[in-house]
Amino acid sequence: MHPAEPLMDMGRLAAWLSEAAGAPVVIFTHARLSGGAIQQNIALSVTCGGVAETWVLRTDNAATLAVSLGRGAEFALLQAAHAAGVMVAEPLFGCEDRSVIGAPFFVMRRVSGSAAGHAAAKRAAAMGGDAALAAEHGRQIARIHRIRPPRADLGFLGEPPADATAAFIARMRGRLDEAGTPRPALEYGLRMMERQAPAPLPAVLCHNDFRTGNTMQDAGRITAVLDWEFAAWGDPHEDLGWFTARCWRFGQNHLEAGGIGPMEAFLGGYAAEAGWQPDPGRVRFWQLGATIRWAVIAADQAARHLSGQEPSLELALTGHMVPELEWDVLNQAEALHAGKA
Amino acid sequence: MLEKPDPKNLLETARALLLERLLPALPESARLEARMVASAMAIAARGIGAANSAPEPELAAAIRAGALDDDPGLLPRLRERARERLAVSNPRAL
Repeated sequence: MHPAEPLMDMGRLAAWLSEAAGAPVVIFTHARLSGGAIQQNIALSVTCGGVAETWVLRTDNAATLAVSLGRGAEFALLQAAHAAGVMVAEPLFGCEDRSVIGAPFFVMRRVSGSAAGHAAAKRAAAMGGDAALAAEHGRQIARIHRIRPPRADLGFLGEPPADATAAFIARMRGRLDEAGTPRPALEYGLRMMERQAPAPLPAVLCHNDFRTGNTMQDAGRITAVLDWEFAAWGDPHEDLGWFTARCWRFGQNHLEAGGIGPMEAFLGGYAAEAGWQPDPGRVRFWQLGATIRWAVIAADQAARHLSGQEPSLELALTGHMVPELEWDVLNQAEALHAGKA
Repeated sequence: MLEKPDPKNLLETARALLLERLLPALPESARLEARMVASAMAIAARGIGAANSAPEPELAAAIRAGALDDDPGLLPRLRERARERLAVSNPRAL
């Protein structure tokens, strides 16, 4: 843990929290948790109306990704997910007023567990795959997909796309054009998606980063679904493809569901909760989409390093993951083509 | 003529020292970063003298436009390029 940022006025924060909670809030300790380039998390030990509680305050750093949602939107998403029965840290109070701590923030209840992807996959692999945990992931994502437009509280998501595949392809091509590096292999994958596009389904709320490493786990059980800043209306199979794509199996390729369990258990859990059966062919279609999207993101991360704005060996090495992803894209696109021929 | 050992040999020798001697002596908190340094050195060493084809903007545009949908030579060509790139970035994935 790092010491908390000294610039935050804890007295001011306690006063605001007291007003929001409708009960006196006293902050005893505050400590910075894991933080990234995008946001920071601060653990708060408090009493609220005399009752001891542990909260987490989440706020933006100055440099934020243009493609991700802000904290106010994330708070609204957490509220919607919590109401839909998704395992999330209970959202408590959101604040858009920059004068309190210098940036918008929200406060949620602290959840126990760890979100280390490699450790989760290793643990599951050691027991020959954790079918129960895979099924639980299926149930959680099915609950998220119960959130459907129109939703006034999620207005910042904009209009749902009439055709999620066409919207995805256009978005990826736009990002490739913006990055400026020609990538024939990714173009090939996108063109194959365009040629094999399935009929559109009614849009649902897609988390868009639902993968091993983004679910907090404690003793092999999900305690919270994290990282909601890429959520958008889309095809439910987008999330299923992202979770099961080879690139998010953390080295446990034989465990198709996120490197933690079998595909059947994951989709079975989904179907039991959703009341409908996902289409495995459509999941494979979106695994290709997931691989293309991760390649585009990885290339953008390297570009952040190369621009000189954020020199980082981690970002630089992420760029060298792109060829492997391209190789995977070619294999998947070929299989998709063969399957339909 | 440049003096030997050449850059590739130097990188490989330095990387072996990093992994065999320095890494075990580092605190746990610094090991991930040390492994990242070792990865970067391995990629750099493989990149020395490697084939490096020119970017292909026309090919990318033609694929996007659908002009090569029925070209049987396209996929083998893309694989060849991908193999070339993987040979430097991550040959284990081949």
